[in-house]
Amino acid sequence: MATPVIMPRQGQSVESCIITKWNVKKGDKVKIGDVLFTYETDKATFDEEAKVEGTVLDIFFEEGDDVPCLTNVCVIGNEGESTAEFDPRNKDAAASEKSASEEKSVSAPVETKEVPAETPAPAAPVSSGDRIKISPRARNLAERTGVDIRFATPTGPEGRIIERDIIALRESGPVVTPAAMSEYMASGISPMTSGTGLGGRITTADVEAGISATAVAASQFAPAQKPEAEFAEVKLTNIRKVIAKAMHNSLSTMAQLTLNTSFDATEILEFRKKIKETKDRMGLENITLNDIILFAVSRTILNHKDLNAHFLDDKMLVFNNVHLGIAVDTERGLMVPTLFYANLKSLNEISREAKALAESCQKGTISPDLLKGGTFTVTNLGALGIESFTPVINPPQTAILGVNTVVQRVREVNGEYVYYPAMGLSLTFDHRAVDGAPAARFLRDLKTNLENFSALLAK
Amino acid sequence: MTYDLIVIGGGPAGYLGAERAGHAGLKTLLIEKRFIGGVCLNEGCIPSKALLYSAKIYDNARYGEKYGITVQNAVLDHEKVIERKNKVVKTLVGGVKAQLKRNNVTVVEGFGEIAGRNSEGYEVKVGNDTYTAKRLLIATGSMPIIPPIPGVREGIEKGFVLTNREILDLKTVPASLVIVGGGVIGLEMASYFNSAGSKVTIIEMLDHIAGNTDREISNILMKNYQKKGIEFKLNAKVVEVKEGSVIYESNGEKFSAEADKVLMSIGRRPVVEGIGLENIGVEIEKGHIKVDERGKTNVPEVYAAGDVNGYSMLAHTAYREAEVCVNNMIGKKDIMRYNAIPSVIYTNPEVACVGETEETAKQKGIDYEVANISMRYSGRYVAENEGGDGICKVLVDKRYRKLIGAHMIGNYASEIIYGAGIMIETEMRVEDIKEIVFPHPTVCEIIREAIFEL
Ligand SMILES: Cc1cc2nc3c(=O)[nH]c(=O)nc-3n(C[C@H](O)[C@H](O)[C@H](O)COP(=O)(O)OP(=O)(O)OC[C@H]3O[C@@H](n4cnc5c(N)ncnc54)[C@H](O)[C@@H]3O)c2cc1C
Repeated sequence: MATPVIMPRQGQSVESCIITKWNVKKGDKVKIGDVLFTYETDKATFDEEAKVEGTVLDIFFEEGDDVPCLTNVCVIGNEGESTAEFDPRNKDAAASEKSASEEKSVSAPVETKEVPAETPAPAAPVSSGDRIKISPRARNLAERTGVDIRFATPTGPEGRIIERDIIALRESGPVVTPAAMSEYMASGISPMTSGTGLGGRITTADVEAGISATAVAASQFAPAQKPEAEFAEVKLTNIRKVIAKAMHNSLSTMAQLTLNTSFDATEILEFRKKIKETKDRMGLENITLNDIILFAVSRTILNHKDLNAHFLDDKMLVFNNVHLGIAVDTERGLMVPTLFYANLKSLNEISREAKALAESCQKGTISPDLLKGGTFTVTNLGALGIESFTPVINPPQTAILGVNTVVQRVREVNGEYVYYPAMGLSLTFDHRAVDGAPAARFLRDLKTNLENFSALLAK
Repeated sequence: MTYDLIVIGGGPAGYLGAERAGHAGLKTLLIEKRFIGGVCLNEGCIPSKALLYSAKIYDNARYGEKYGITVQNAVLDHEKVIERKNKVVKTLVGGVKAQLKRNNVTVVEGFGEIAGRNSEGYEVKVGNDTYTAKRLLIATGSMPIIPPIPGVREGIEKGFVLTNREILDLKTVPASLVIVGGGVIGLEMASYFNSAGSKVTIIEMLDHIAGNTDREISNILMKNYQKKGIEFKLNAKVVEVKEGSVIYESNGEKFSAEADKVLMSIGRRPVVEGIGLENIGVEIEKGHIKVDERGKTNVPEVYAAGDVNGYSMLAHTAYREAEVCVNNMIGKKDIMRYNAIPSVIYTNPEVACVGETEETAKQKGIDYEVANISMRYSGRYVAENEGGDGICKVLVDKRYRKLIGAHMIGNYASEIIYGAGIMIETEMRVEDIKEIVFPHPTVCEIIREAIFEL
């Protein structure tokens, strides 16, 4: 029997997912457990495995398509079976036909009941979401005049770029020389706002320079597709796009600034050492310095509630519990899972949960529901030797704490210089929500708690 | 009083820079020690062209039979030619002065020397006066290279060895003229004095004339002039200059060429000494002022343009460089590009080139294609050039199918070449150029013809 494979729903908040890779093609035989395709939410990547055995009879979406959850993606069955009934595109067609005929039949009766004009469900988007909508006339003109349509401001219906937009762009935007145009558009280099040619035209030399610059940057991301290629075109993953948008949004909409301080880490280092020695005997987790900081934050921040809050322009949501966002570095990019109710959890619980969250982020199996809802975020670059930095706030949160590495500092004790281990803390906060002094006070309290960690534990 | 800008040197770079700056509202002072207009107007581009035009008319009269015209007793009156040349120069210098005035530029006559900096800006001394400006534009141009060959200095003192300055003011046509250096200046002077009746010999150290000009074209030019009676001594080195003769060495042997006058035209060097550059620490590299693509020197707000930066030693380059400097002074983004600067030799026939030659394209590793066609593809060329053997060469970059060079020999080439320059500068592709309509019949159609060969 032919069985459709649907796009799973990964968490309540996810409306659609993007198919990033097909591992099978029409006609392939699959066994249970074979990976059919890989897909992404805006936060994580998943593999969809075959749950039945058979032949891939039909595939309805291509790589790059954004597919609404619970929509049929492909069909597995015995060769020769019909798949038409599963094709979501047919369904839409059928639905709209049906509604049209329904309309007819109800308009026949004399009673003039207002019939809600049922608009046909929008066809599942078959094209990738980022494709530029442009009229053929406008595209033609753009090609002939050498403007970069990516800079056009669409004024046509449904956000379509039309001829006048290209004419406007020719006046204001970058112009590409005829010779440079095709490589400029095809090479995947980032759009340029001007070049070194006549009147700022983008020339072949500019494109060549752009390509070699991109190649340097791209070499960090992906293996080159062709070994002989000078550069690799690296499509942004969904996660990267989300990060890009979120970071830019964060920095462009908030009034962020960072306070830096450090604290004497003697006590927490000793504490950790002790735990390390006794953890097996006591059945404790391998508690890390970061866990200790998460714990201290969860116990300190409720006295500074403006930092455990969401800033929503005309109001603030000030939380009574601490849901800690924890920045996790993964292969796919930065992910921030949430450790809910940290203020109610023991250090050991926090440690265990933080590890579990990080692990499922690494694997890409994290539920999207665990990737939101944070009230404050902690990010740690200490392991990479960073001594201070400017973390970027995860909106609509009002602050983020950056944890730095431990360095040896000197201080004067009774006329003598003594060394002590100092750990850096970098707090970025949104000055729209919080002023400098209260933010500094939070840091001061946090520092006190960390320097007297056993006392904090005793509380 | 503090100026916004002091320009040192009133040649093409200096006077145009001053005009543009004045126009943009900068309070501008221009210092010139000799004549406004510089080398170009007074002893370079313009006077040489005035002379060459007279020669051309004379040649047309003398050799008109091919076209059905016979003129008897055509005479080239050298004195009158020089007189007219002076009139042309005077008219143009007057024009430049008027432009400067119109753009509110203050002109000071005298030798300018940079004295140093003060809190207001840079100080420039002219005689006993000191002027101060926030910015400087150094446009002191270039001067002929005088090689340390025995007899040359004495020859200059005695007046039988000449530079471009003196030769353009000769009262009489020398019976014999030896030109040392077969570059553009030497060739143009050879052309005039050949027509005017001198026995001209060109002594050139390289195995070809006309410097970096496309080799095929410089050979055609040489053959044309050999036919007219100019003697070329290539691979030859002048070792001594005596009154009446020039001794040169070739293949290890010494020869003597008869010479009533000798023109030294082996090249020009930037004027960077004695103008106080060291007082503010302007960096000099290989004898020229080092500038970036915006015309800036290493010293803040000190710019340099024209021959003094050593890039291309042409008046139109100087114009554009000066404009780039001024644009950057007034905060307008602009950079200098050298990939589409035309160069012309105003001989008869003319030579004009722009962009890459085959030689430079090879050096740069550009994968290119050439179309090389006879000028006789142009109807007008055939109508006006009996027996003409001109050619037109275009170079196309294969990767982008864009024009990267155009070279031609044949009259009007000087007026045509800017069109090819535009095509190169805007990176037009072969297919774009094919859509351009050229007036017919003209010699410029040759570009279209050549493009369709590709
Ligand atoms: C015979 C000949 C023919 C030429 N023909 C052509 C041609 O056909 N086309 C072409 O493009 N180019 C031609 N050139 C080259 C052209 O003349 C130069 O490229 C051009 O003049 C450069 O302009 P400039 O402003 O840099 O310098 P210049 O024209 O050299 O002007 C510099 C000026 O600065 C003045 N000066 C120098 N030092 C001081 C100082 N300390 N204080 C005050 N004033 C100072 C000088 O007196 C001079 O007037 C020719 C040159 C020669 C010699």
